[in-house]
Order: sequence, then structure tokens, then C-alpha cells
Amino acid sequence: MSWKRVCSASEVAEKSLKQFDVEGVPVLIANLGDEFRAYPPLCPHMEERLEESGICEAGVLTCSKHLWQWDMRTGEMRGEAEKPLLLYEVKQDNGDVLVNIEKELEYEYDEETDDDDDSFWD
Amino acid sequence: MPARNQKQWMADPNLQRGEWVDSRIYSDPEIFEEELEKIFKKTWIPVCHESELSEPYDFRTTTIAREPVIVARGPDNTVRAFLNVCPHRGMMIERRPAGSFLEGQPSGNPKRMTCMFHAWQFDMKGNCVYISREKEGYQDRLCKENTGLRRLRCEVAMGGFVWVCLDDKPECSLEEWAGKPFDCIRESIDAEPLEVFHYHKAIINTNYKLWHDTNSEFYHDFMHYHNRVTGFNDEYFARKNIGFEHGHVNVTSFEVNYDEYEGFESREELSFPKFPPNQWFMIDLFPGMNFNLRGSALRCDIMTPLGPNKVMIEFRGLGVKADTPEERQTRIEHHNSIWGPFGRNLHEDLIGVTGQGATMNDGSEPRRILHGRHEDNYIHDEVGLRHYYDEWGKWMDRLPSDPMQKYTAPAVAAE
Repeated sequence: MSWKRVCSASEVAEKSLKQFDVEGVPVLIANLGDEFRAYPPLCPHMEERLEESGICEAGVLTCSKHLWQWDMRTGEMRGEAEKPLLLYEVKQDNGDVLVNIEKELEYEYDEETDDDDDSFWD
Repeated sequence: MPARNQKQWMADPNLQRGEWVDSRIYSDPEIFEEELEKIFKKTWIPVCHESELSEPYDFRTTTIAREPVIVARGPDNTVRAFLNVCPHRGMMIERRPAGSFLEGQPSGNPKRMTCMFHAWQFDMKGNCVYISREKEGYQDRLCKENTGLRRLRCEVAMGGFVWVCLDDKPECSLEEWAGKPFDCIRESIDAEPLEVFHYHKAIINTNYKLWHDTNSEFYHDFMHYHNRVTGFNDEYFARKNIGFEHGHVNVTSFEVNYDEYEGFESREELSFPKFPPNQWFMIDLFPGMNFNLRGSALRCDIMTPLGPNKVMIEFRGLGVKADTPEERQTRIEHHNSIWGPFGRNLHEDLIGVTGQGATMNDGSEPRRILHGRHEDNYIHDEVGLRHYYDEWGKWMDRLPSDPMQKYTAPAVAAE
């Protein structure tokens, strides 16, 4: 894939997040006022949909579940966060927001360990 | 027989010990508490059917002997059971009766069980995966690795029912516990995946054992008007009660002539896989579950004792998961016309057992409840009840006919 149109700039209000589907790839668009950013839609901590749990204030994105925070422009960790945000390249063209999707960005979440053996009950 | 004075009324009946029980086993609060500890916390209890949590992250909550239990299907499709109790401050973790963890709750995240009190979280294997502000509060003294959930023994078996045992080291495996009584219908209920199509529950004022009694004896068909006027025939009386180890009982099959029932038609056209049409087998499991395969529909009652004179009964009706809509509708009609809340028999059974409950209060003069009918194990023989109460006596170490005495084997063998 490559540069894809996601939405028009007016669809995402200032200081807010909105999730879009771009040919099967979910993308979260943030409107910082002067610029846009594009992230994978889930919190890297526990797979929460940031469109619902995220709060944008003073250039900082906060997931309201466990208060992980990031710099919205760079994705760098703030506060409680233990993993940075991933970003797609983003640009505006003729009032539209476009993102560069080479491949879908996804976080790695902890795999559940396997404890199924009978010695567990001893 | 003339009426009796108190002394005559209280005297032992002219039957052998083991052929009657003392009504205090149904009404004494101390005995009830002891039953929860000695029986319900030690034996295998079916808590639901696997079709009720068919997708990964589906769950159901319940209680066994007042202990809150959650069963959940993991992403690996395995159903596991846990105590529904947060290891932090003892709060009940999940308060919904059923649902899915796939979507996050307002306090919680997708794919996690979350205790909303302080946001501790657990995965579907019971691992603790999140402690809020862990390092700040516990430094390195306590961590997620030490604070998993209490896992419980859990197996999916006998037609896909989910069985849980609160005891880590049960007296025997589920197969050893319940396998043999299930043999009569096992081929049919294990042939294909089953699915629950009916659920209702009733909380009634009676002792759980009295409900089990009505499931274990057919002598009370004298109360079931329709059974009495249309059902009594040679085949009906030819059925036998068969006792199994651990207090379980089978009632053997006979061919039911539904077309002789007023308002009913033959049910030959639809049965269970590998099950001859119109047959009917019944399994009564100690300490209080009933499985009833009647031609086209499987019924299961699970009892949760709530007090000496209060029991919750959950009624489930099951068909074959691959049913066509027409087959399913037929099974539902067959099930509900007998066993639904407005079915042919159920309300009469409830009248019987609540009538018993009404006479047996804490402090009531002990009554002798007779289980002394012997008819060569045929259908009106009360051997199923004798078999059950002998098992009860062993688990409780109390004599059913005189519960303040320690258990000894009855004068007549329970069989």
C-alpha cells in the first residue's frame, strides 16, 4: 500500500480522535489543531480502543483506563506509559487527510502462558 | 387405622432402618451448613452447558455452596473455572450472570477480567496481568506473579456440560464419579455438539433433597393427572430403578405412547442421534442433578441449595447444535409441553415439594418420611431414595433416620 485518503480534515474535530477504516486497516486520526497524526487504534497496554478511552489535552494523549500518556506529536512516553505509540506518516492534501500505510502497524501484547498440566493440582 | 397420639406418631415405623428418614435432614440449619461443607464443596457439580459460553472470552457466573464461581472460555477454546473473588480485597470480580470479555467494560479492558474496585486485572487463564501502581505500592514485595486467581477443577463432559469441583483433590475423577450412570445415553448425547434452547429458573421453598426425591421416584405419578389417566400400562410398570456407586440412579427406558396423551401426537419423527424414537432415560445424580433424555429433547435440572427450605432449580432444555430451524422448533415444543413452566408435569411437582417444605420447619416435630416401598426395583419401588440417602449418610457421617447419630449401614441393603 501507499498514500491513502482517510477522511476530510473537517471530519475530525480539534483536540479529538476518530477511528477510520482504510481498506481494512483501522487507523486512528488525531487533530492537534495545526496538524494531524495517525496511530494504530488500540492502546499498546491492554488493547483498549483509544477512540473511546483517549483524552487529548495540551498535546498529550491519555488513555483513561490506566493513565498511560504520550506526546501526541511524537508518540513518546509520558506519565505511566511503558510503551511508545506507533505512528503512520500523515499529510494533508486539498482538505483531505492522507496516511502512508506500508503495512498495518500493531503492538505486541503479552501472550498468556500455558499452565495446563495436572501437577498444578498437587 | 385409628389416628395416633403423639407417642404413637413419634414411634419408629414398622419398617427396617434405611426405609425412612427423619425430616430434620430437610429442616435443620446446622445440617444444611454441614451439607454445603461436606458434600457440595467436595463433589462434581455441573454449572452450565458449554454452548452457553460458545465463543472465546464468553463467561458465566454462578455459585457452589455460596462460593462465587466464574467459568470462562479462553482464546485457546478451553473452558476454565475460577473463584470469582479478587485476590486483593475479596471483592466479587464479575457481577454479570453471563457475557463476554471480548469487549472492554467501562472499568476494564478487552480480553481481561477486571475487578472494578482497584482495577486489578486477570486473563482467561487466571494470571494476574495488571496491578494498578504496582511498584509504587508494593515495591518488589508483592507482584502479579504472586496474585493469580484461585483456579478450580473444571471439565467439559457428558454431553458438553461444564463440571466444577471446589476441591482441588476430589475423591475421584469426574469420569469415575458420573461416568457409569451416563452410559445409558452417552452415545446419544456425545454424538454431536448440543445446544441449550431453554432456560428458566425457579426459587422454591423446599429442601433440595425433596426436589431430588420427586425426580427419583415415579410413585408420585398419582399426582400427575395426565400420567395417571393415560400413562399407566404394562410397559410403564416394567421400568426399573438401577443404583450406581456414589448414590446415583438410572431409571430405565420405555416407549412412550404420546398419541395416547390427550392433545399430544406421536413423537416418532424426531429423536436424538443414535436414540430410538420415543424412548426415555433418566439419570439422577447425587447430590442433586437430574438428566432426562425424552426422545427429542434433553432436560437437565441443576439444584443450588440456598437454605434448608430454599432451593434454586435451573432448568435447561437441549437439542442438537446442527438442528434445522424446523427440528429445533419441534424439540422446543416437545420439551416445553412436558417440562416448560406451563408444561404438563412441572407445576404439579412444585406443588408436591412446596407442600412438604411447608410442614418441615426448623423446630418442627421430626416426621418420619417413608421410603419403604419394595417392588423388585420396578418403577414404584423407592429404592432410588434409599440408595441416595445411604450415600448422604456416608458423606455426612449422620444416620438419615436419626441424624443426631453417626452413620452406620442400614439394616436392609440400600439396593
